[in-house]
Amino acid sequence: MNNALTWLLRNPIWGFVLLIFVFFSVSNEFFFDPQNFKNILVQTSTIGLIALGMTLVMINGNIDLSVGATLALAASLAIDIQGWEVFASWGSWAILPGVLAGLLSGVLLGALNGFIVWKTGVDAFIVTLGAMLGVRGLVFIYTQEQSFFAMNFAYSDFGASSVGPLPTLAVLFLLFALITHLLLSRTVHGRNTYAVGGNREAAVNAGIRVGPHMLINFVIVGFFAALAGITLSTQMGASTPNLGREYELWTITAVVLGGTKLSGGSGTIIGTLGGVLAIGILRNGMNLMQVPAFYVLVILGTILIAVLFLDKQLTRRGKGELRT
Amino acid sequence: MVAETKPEAGRPARIRRRTGSNAMSVFAKQGILIAFALFIVGFAIFSDRFLSAENLMTVIRQSAIIGVMAIGVTVVVIGGNLDLSVGSMLSFSTVLVVDLHDQMGPGLAILVMLAATLCLGAVNGLLVGYARLNSLIVTLGMLSAIQGLVLIYSGGQNVDIVNQESTWFAIFGRGYVFGIATPIVIFLVFALLVHVLMSSTAFGRRVYAVGGNPTAAVFSGIRRSRVVFTTYLISAFATGCAAVILGSRVMGSQNNVGQGYELLVLAGVILGGTSLLGGSGNVLKTVVGVLILGFIQNGLLLMGFAYYVQWLVTWIVIILAVWLDVAAKRGRLFSPIA
Amino acid sequence: MTPKMKTWIAGTTAMAGIALAGGALAQDDPVTIGITQNNVGVDSYQTTYEQAFVDAAAANPNVETVVLDAGGDVARQIAQIQDLIQQRVDAIIIWPTNGNAVVPAVRQAHQAGIPVVITNSNIAEEGMDFIAAFSGPDNITQGAYSAELMCEALAEEGQDPAEASGQIVQISGQPGYTTAIERQKGFEDRLAEACPGVEIMETQPGDWNREKSQRVMEAFLTKYDTIDGVYSGDDNMGVGALNAAKAAGRADEMAFIGATNFAVGYEAMERGEYYGSIYQSPVDDAEAALQTALDVLAGEDVPKLNYFETPKITQENMTEFSKPVF
Repeated sequence: MNNALTWLLRNPIWGFVLLIFVFFSVSNEFFFDPQNFKNILVQTSTIGLIALGMTLVMINGNIDLSVGATLALAASLAIDIQGWEVFASWGSWAILPGVLAGLLSGVLLGALNGFIVWKTGVDAFIVTLGAMLGVRGLVFIYTQEQSFFAMNFAYSDFGASSVGPLPTLAVLFLLFALITHLLLSRTVHGRNTYAVGGNREAAVNAGIRVGPHMLINFVIVGFFAALAGITLSTQMGASTPNLGREYELWTITAVVLGGTKLSGGSGTIIGTLGGVLAIGILRNGMNLMQVPAFYVLVILGTILIAVLFLDKQLTRRGKGELRT
Repeated sequence: MVAETKPEAGRPARIRRRTGSNAMSVFAKQGILIAFALFIVGFAIFSDRFLSAENLMTVIRQSAIIGVMAIGVTVVVIGGNLDLSVGSMLSFSTVLVVDLHDQMGPGLAILVMLAATLCLGAVNGLLVGYARLNSLIVTLGMLSAIQGLVLIYSGGQNVDIVNQESTWFAIFGRGYVFGIATPIVIFLVFALLVHVLMSSTAFGRRVYAVGGNPTAAVFSGIRRSRVVFTTYLISAFATGCAAVILGSRVMGSQNNVGQGYELLVLAGVILGGTSLLGGSGNVLKTVVGVLILGFIQNGLLLMGFAYYVQWLVTWIVIILAVWLDVAAKRGRLFSPIA
Repeated sequence: MTPKMKTWIAGTTAMAGIALAGGALAQDDPVTIGITQNNVGVDSYQTTYEQAFVDAAAANPNVETVVLDAGGDVARQIAQIQDLIQQRVDAIIIWPTNGNAVVPAVRQAHQAGIPVVITNSNIAEEGMDFIAAFSGPDNITQGAYSAELMCEALAEEGQDPAEASGQIVQISGQPGYTTAIERQKGFEDRLAEACPGVEIMETQPGDWNREKSQRVMEAFLTKYDTIDGVYSGDDNMGVGALNAAKAAGRADEMAFIGATNFAVGYEAMERGEYYGSIYQSPVDDAEAALQTALDVLAGEDVPKLNYFETPKITQENMTEFSKPVF
């Protein structure tokens, strides 16, 4: 019992998740239902996957604003390429080159962002703000403003399929969450991630090659953004050039709600999972309770600030007051 | 006011160590101006209409809305914080001023709108300045919350000024002062005023101090919370002024009219060489940054490119401009990170 | 998981079970219709539509509604469709954020046995098998009507509109959005037929946004010395273009044609500044959608495509129409 309490104190967001879970279970008849839980997991998997990578980048003390645009590019490539004439005889295997190209685009854009941050020393916020505009430009140039449609229903069937009792997309998300959690908590790369974000000079002194290290994390977030684009496009069987607008903002919100500090050096995947679920449950619950769309915006904004405020109060004890 | 103004006003009164070559540092320090000149020459070659006085005026007039906002945000950023809420705030203020115009006349409508906008700025300022919450997340939350407030206020309906011909409200967006379009006048006068505020008053020096080194600032007796609070009021006031121009220009408003402006504004501030770390930056250079964005957009459209090509060009320009700036400050082109 | 938590979860499950049973009992008679809209609040048309839909449903004692809005985001709309399936509503009305991307979600609803009615803007061909009906305006025809208006406007006194000539610009709606694409296609195809002498010099998107459209028009005015006509994907953008032309003192030399007549467009028409538009009532649109859904639920034989009337409105016949409320 005591253990659980200290755990909750360290991950206050899970307390909040529990709170809204109970609230919606009691106040809405449709909320507490295994099928609805599956929906929530699928609905959060998009932001969730990006948030996994974003957590690493943010623990590094960096940020990536270009993930929404990367997501759109990967989705467009995946859908378009599987329809190419060349692969017409491949049947459902035509999906493979599309998906690979989509993932590759994410990895490359991540590497590009990381490389620029590394070599120029320009703040990641600025580098990726530029990329956010530029990559969206690439998406529009590539798609010529059109949305693409997957001819093959096998693609969207994947998005709706299940592994045992759980939807495939949810399994995929949880699996990658586990992998990222292990990467962060059990490997040298994970330890370095905290070290670089916590005190860069000390990290350099300890012999960590900071530049390549940050590049790898940008590649990871690029990969996850692309993967999220592909899983999202399997839910739609299509891609649109405007896909993923403002996702960077919601992803950062989720990661911060999960307790990762923007200044770097601290954060966990478990916390991020809580942050993602908090937003997902709120949206789902408010849909089910028919909260008018205008109020949803106000409620989400207010809750974000309130959680930040509470978190500050909880972690304030014993810390120096001058630093933000 | 004891002014120890330096020739390069607007920079913090701190001595910088320069190790790099002098020529490069001069080039890079004025890099943004050089880039600006290159763009104008380039567009002038490819489009014969680009350099017409009429077109130049059009671009500056169109840039005025983002420009006025960017001046306010520059002050916030110099103080070491961000303000992403200005996009929704612009929607809020424009809808409010247009809606109130027909109920209480232009004068009162502008006053009430400014008061309401300052209240929103005060909320930002309280949360970031006094409660010491992270400005990125606070203003992100406010971005969402204010957009909701606008929609609740208007019920989601567009607002319009019914009698457009007879109101003096038209002067702000459509009028002329001494032959110059009013938005341009407002933009430049506002820029000058804030420039003077930041470069030759005690308040300006405090903002630089708080943004540059908060701990030292507090030890030297500066009330940091109050300074940060005030920067958000300035940003909100700037957004209110932008809303007057916008409302008068369109004589109506949609509820999402400011959507996405927060990032364009920030891009202008960054292009102007203001560091997101706080403590350095220059309001007049923000004006140049915003104009570059405007000229890229206008020039590419005149040359017949699709509108989305400008995003790609903006990407490259932002990174090159900031890279040069950063490189000049550290005296070497590539970052020393291993 | 601690034993305490397990007991707690079991307890909540039981409670929720009781709540569910209670819900099922109360839900006997009236039909529940869920709607997920595109982006309420982005313009008055969509807001007025929602109002009209809620009013129409409230007027019918046998109808209960679940009214949702996707905020323009495809992913959120898909989530909302799933949430509506989860609530086992009797029918779902969808105003697609994108005609292609909602097809799999529509298919899921279809497979769950819930009839789907698409409203306002149709979904892609591939999804037609999974919907019960479409109800809304015919945007291709609207574009064609606007083209015919353009020909009439550019024809000299006594000249046959087919002989008209001139150079025009087009301001289209949000890129990638079905309504925008269909209106543009309808306009361009019909214009080439109806008056081949009229040439579209350039098309740029105005994103359904008046200020954006005003900026686009300012660039056109700089670029082209002669502009004889402007076609905008809706009146909101059309009035933005008119603003720009008036500011440049060139409004008299060109004809303004729009679509979806807004109040501001109607007023500009009254002042003689705006040539014509397409009259489309969000109230008709909403009521038609609700009625179509009710007909489907009543087991009536409903045609796949249900277009409601959207006539041309010009300075000459505008008195036959009441001023739009939005």
